[in-house]
Amino acid sequence: MKKITIANRNNSTYEVKGNRPLLSELRELGLDLPYGCQYGGCITCAAKLIKGKVDQKSQLALNNRQINDGYVILCVARAKTNCTFDIGVESHDKLYRNPFIDPLAPHELKSDIATIRKIKDD
Amino acid sequence: MEGLCCGPGYASPSEAIRAPSEKLLYTIAIYTGTGIQKPDYLATVDVDSNSETYSKVIHRLEMPGIGDELHHMGWNACSSCHEDNSMSRKYLLVPGVRSNNIYVVDTATNPKAPNLYKVIQGSEIKSKTNLSGPHTVHCLGSEIIISFLGDARGEAPGGYLHLNKDFEIIGRWENSMGDIPFSYDFWYQPRHNVMISSEWAAPNTFMPGFDLEEVGHLKYGRRLHIWDFKKKKPIQTMYLGEDGLIPLEVKFLHNPNSSHGFCGAALSANVIHFWKSENGNWEWEKIIDIDNEPHSDWPIPIPGVMSALLVSMNDKYLYINNWLHGDMRQYNITDPHNPVLTGQVWMGGLLGKAPIVNGVKVAGGPQMYQLSLDGKRMYVTTSLFSTWDNQFYPEIRTKGGVMLMIDCDVENGGMKINKDFVVNFGDEPNGPSRCHESRYPGGDCTSDIWL
Repeated sequence: MKKITIANRNNSTYEVKGNRPLLSELRELGLDLPYGCQYGGCITCAAKLIKGKVDQKSQLALNNRQINDGYVILCVARAKTNCTFDIGVESHDKLYRNPFIDPLAPHELKSDIATIRKIKDD
Repeated sequence: MEGLCCGPGYASPSEAIRAPSEKLLYTIAIYTGTGIQKPDYLATVDVDSNSETYSKVIHRLEMPGIGDELHHMGWNACSSCHEDNSMSRKYLLVPGVRSNNIYVVDTATNPKAPNLYKVIQGSEIKSKTNLSGPHTVHCLGSEIIISFLGDARGEAPGGYLHLNKDFEIIGRWENSMGDIPFSYDFWYQPRHNVMISSEWAAPNTFMPGFDLEEVGHLKYGRRLHIWDFKKKKPIQTMYLGEDGLIPLEVKFLHNPNSSHGFCGAALSANVIHFWKSENGNWEWEKIIDIDNEPHSDWPIPIPGVMSALLVSMNDKYLYINNWLHGDMRQYNITDPHNPVLTGQVWMGGLLGKAPIVNGVKVAGGPQMYQLSLDGKRMYVTTSLFSTWDNQFYPEIRTKGGVMLMIDCDVENGGMKINKDFVVNFGDEPNGPSRCHESRYPGGDCTSDIWL
């Protein structure tokens, strides 16, 4: 079992198995979460991972910047370890950005079109 | 034989124009993506200026679950089956873009308080047709077709769902998608055996939000497609290139003999005019080009984002919006090759021209609109799509959407915001919601097609 802590819900905790998507497991335990498509494509259920590890390789909605900022698509992500999340739109401070004022660098795009960033040797 | 038939709709556009004025309208309102854990709903708005509840939401039909993102909708029947007296314009089909569910709403039993008649489950649509991301609903005689933007996994190009008049899934409507890369809106003109379709993007691309870089990576559309309507397959592609980035709404003129129509290219902020030439090929030209506008906070000028387009029932006026600029425009299209700007009003937008209208701080800009059959009253709402709203107008989360009305001068041209009408969806009982597309029970300027 994995312990899931929701930091912005008074650090409430839930025990999940980690063999099914977090959205399903947490909703069955009574946590009210937003969701939409339920296949990882629409971003409605995004939450911010503060600590821990998830497997969300089947998600299709997030670009690499959002992933680096800790966002997780709960309708497809499974808990690999104990995790701490912020949930709901309060956690979406970095999820939505004006794409003209703050454009993505080539390596920050979605994984199917992102370029690999070259790291210079010092 | 005008007026003698008793099927739905009207015998002709000119008969539709003479229909009684609308007394109420339906608009969808969303909580999806707003942070409020409530279902999206269909709001009934009182638009009878003699009523005590004029300019108010008088009923809310909540959907059974949360997270649908209701968006566009359409009638079960329109003037295309006017001569079929076994049909009536009774049911509104309301798809959820994210959930894939289609809600069939009975608006006739009690027009002020419509009720949910049937749900076509999104999972059933996926398993039977491999489609997701529903958008435009058109009736087709007594049957219904709905464009979908993706397959069951949200990848383009999607296709068309075919329903019978009892809202049972027949299957896919089209015989072939040809080499069409994306789907979005469509309109058909039976006397020319033609359908035209436009391109947004795959659900997995547009649903999480907009990125300009994805346009460069060809993840968004830039083509229009001409279909052989009877053969149900595409026959000609019009590549619009940089003039037609993200071509969204397409409309033919209402005159069923005309082959002229228009498309609004959202990102290019251009109107594309298309028509059938004498040799039978379809041609296009750019007839309106809205300049991008400079803004002190933006590194590049702001594009208009022309997300919708509407033709008055008498085919005299074309209406467009610039969602990011904040203006609605009216053009006289008597000569469709040479539109003449005849009216313009401002509401919200990023340019700061009209931040407060009728006492309400407008979050968002003019986005969806519906015109009365007589062409005199246009109802405008301000939300585009939850994730895109959140990117460009983050304050809409707390302020909600707004519905305003524009008085349109159908004789001399001109537009003026009506001072007595404003519906502030920021004041809804469950918290700020966002209104989008509107429909009238008696038909409107984006529903009816004549055979």
